[in-house]
Amino acid sequence: MATTTEPTTLRREEEEDEDSKPSAEDEDTGAQVAPIVKLQEVAVTTGEENEDVLLDLKSKLYRFDKEGNQWKERGVGTVKLLKHKESGKVRLVMRQNKTLKICANHLVLSTMTVQEHQGNDKSCVWHAADFADGELKEETFCIRFASVENCKAFKDKIEEITESQGEDSGENQEATAAANLIEKLSVVGDKPEAKEAPLSSEEKRDDNEKLEKSTN
Amino acid sequence: MALPNQQTVDYPSFKLVIVGDGGTGKTTFVKRHLTGEFEKKYEPTIGVEVHPLDFFTNCGKIRFYCWDTAGQEKFGGLRDGYYIHGQCAIIMFDVTARLTYKNVPTWHRDLCRVCENIPIVLCGNKVDVKNRQVKAKQVTFHRKKNLQYYEISAKSNYNFEKPFLYLARKLAGDPNLHFVESPALAPPEVQIDLAAQQQHEAELAAAASQPLPDDDDEAFD
Repeated sequence: MATTTEPTTLRREEEEDEDSKPSAEDEDTGAQVAPIVKLQEVAVTTGEENEDVLLDLKSKLYRFDKEGNQWKERGVGTVKLLKHKESGKVRLVMRQNKTLKICANHLVLSTMTVQEHQGNDKSCVWHAADFADGELKEETFCIRFASVENCKAFKDKIEEITESQGEDSGENQEATAAANLIEKLSVVGDKPEAKEAPLSSEEKRDDNEKLEKSTN
Repeated sequence: MALPNQQTVDYPSFKLVIVGDGGTGKTTFVKRHLTGEFEKKYEPTIGVEVHPLDFFTNCGKIRFYCWDTAGQEKFGGLRDGYYIHGQCAIIMFDVTARLTYKNVPTWHRDLCRVCENIPIVLCGNKVDVKNRQVKAKQVTFHRKKNLQYYEISAKSNYNFEKPFLYLARKLAGDPNLHFVESPALAPPEVQIDLAAQQQHEAELAAAASQPLPDDDDEAFD
């Protein structure tokens, strides 16, 4: 029976080609039903408005399930590294394709280290306190990219951020110390020396920006 | 429609009944939306499991209470109780198992006995599998009964958002409703102590030696 009802391979392919036409698929064949709610258009905020995009790549994210000792898919979509325009803080945000839901949302701290995964050069792993669900959860993540290049770009960028953040926090402390010094010094009237400290930290910041531009 | 012990929300919510034969992928589909994971292992649902599932739209946040029902006859029973106050529905079949499509009219009849005039989506799941038993052209039931039909794959995520988008549009009577980016709130600062850090590193090392569940699958971008 199977032989008589099964079309030939060729015909099957033709059929599938025809069937996969998007127009046929999106055709509404549903019944006319009365809506049960009236919804008003609302203003949409992404929460990313005050941030600059440092990196934006398609990827697949996994979380480690400790009980099952296995990786579980978290989502397929776009991973972004976002730098806040005022605070300078960088975070990783990933959204699921199509539904645009958040699958990861955590700060990139100076303590974050991205490590290799099983010697695979398209994926890498790290740990973070993740805020995707609106509450902090300790998660171990693995991310996989379509290419070795993209994975390297991701790893390099994270490394660059964590290094500069380590410097930044040190720098800020230095800057504050310097600022305190300036106040004291300015009372004494020692202006040339006072100017030096804040200038040098600004120069460093410029270097960071240059680095960002060159890797973008 | 929430269960008595389930918290209600201050945004629109709908009771969504998901029915279809056992093993067609109802639970896997819901799980995929809940956590992103794809569960390969088959564990039949017993009775019903209700999962709240939120979506962000240009008309605000909405919630589906997904009533994921047991497809297997032996775990069935109490079905009318599951259907009551259902505001929308998904009937699922497996395109690799002809019988599951043959049973669609029965599921539809049972559903419509309790829920009149609700938007219903028929989903042909597992379209990623090469040897289909039910071709798209052979699916005609939705035309006779005025259902919407989508070919989906819980495995590849093909069309996985469409059933919810369709139902949301019908429930709101707005054909232009669409999903939008949910606000990514600023994650709070955390202080990590040395002991915790060391534990994380040990866990990371253990995790790094485990393979990904779908290492051979490159079709995600």
